[in-house]
Amino acid sequence: MPYPMQLGFQDATSPIMEELMYFHDHTLMIVFLISSLVLYVLILMLTTKLTHTSTMDAQEVETIWTILPAIILVLIALPSLRILYMMDEIFNPYLTVKAMGHQWYWSYEYTDYEDLSFDSYMVPTQDLNPGQLRLLEVDNRVVLPMELPIRMLISSEDVLHAWTVPSLGLKADAVPGRLNQATLTSTRPGVYFGQCSEICGSNHSFMPIVLEMSTLKYFENWSHMMQ
Amino acid sequence: TRAVASIFSRPEAWSLAAEPFKLLGILDVQNVPCARHSILYGSLGSVIAALGHFLFTSRVRRSCDVAVGVFILGTLGCWFPCRYNYAKQRIQQRIVQEGIKNKILFESTHLDPERKQIGTKSDNS
Repeated sequence: MPYPMQLGFQDATSPIMEELMYFHDHTLMIVFLISSLVLYVLILMLTTKLTHTSTMDAQEVETIWTILPAIILVLIALPSLRILYMMDEIFNPYLTVKAMGHQWYWSYEYTDYEDLSFDSYMVPTQDLNPGQLRLLEVDNRVVLPMELPIRMLISSEDVLHAWTVPSLGLKADAVPGRLNQATLTSTRPGVYFGQCSEICGSNHSFMPIVLEMSTLKYFENWSHMMQ
Repeated sequence: TRAVASIFSRPEAWSLAAEPFKLLGILDVQNVPCARHSILYGSLGSVIAALGHFLFTSRVRRSCDVAVGVFILGTLGCWFPCRYNYAKQRIQQRIVQEGIKNKILFESTHLDPERKQIGTKSDNS
């Protein structure tokens, strides 16, 4: 879950997010080494009185600092493209849920079997119960079964929004007149939070997303209760 | 109990991750798999190479350049194989986990993985 002053990722809840975290580690190591090299060169430059004011060309070093960055970029691009295509794989979803963005709340529709739709508004700070998270709790959570691939269709009724759940590695723009698809698979039960990620007006910061991943039995009971 | 209470009063301590230690403010060597191992071996290699170079040539500046070069190459040389093995281990762990789950779920049913194997062996004999 998110906590104050957090800098890193939340714990991964989906296989895609795990892959993204490992890609991040890979890229960060490369960035760390390049930064160390630049720091060293900086220190070298600053600690010498020698100058060479008549440099005309430097073919060898020019070759090195063209080829080497190209190789580094290829080393970063290959895992990146692998994950990009992995994110677009469709795994025969068991369920389709539509998330519609409004100013300033989300509405969800579960229309595979019966008509279930509800709005999800943020719980105002003054109405929070002790232990609840400020600006993240909602009145109606999105309850979904865990360990099953679920298709999310995201769109908007008015302006641009973006449906995000960081711990699942999901972010998709909600564009009016367009359906964007995301596939969601949670490896463990729990409550996962996200916030609208596309500026959409005065209450853009106050339309969170809460997913409650649980067993299929719980999900079935919940959907009966919600109708 | 006070120690336990103090740990659980900090949400960032709820994760099983160790206290982060970030080199240059970015690379968390405690929690990134293979990072600590790679940086340590890279540093060790760079110190040995730089000392050796200095002992043979008595050139301080060039020895420092050797240290940085060996550090970068050594770290990368440890990093890539370690990450590759880690990824292979992760895949094996997922297969084992799935196998254990299937064994527990389907024990004594016609879908029991062990029953299928025994059936195959008796067909072959």
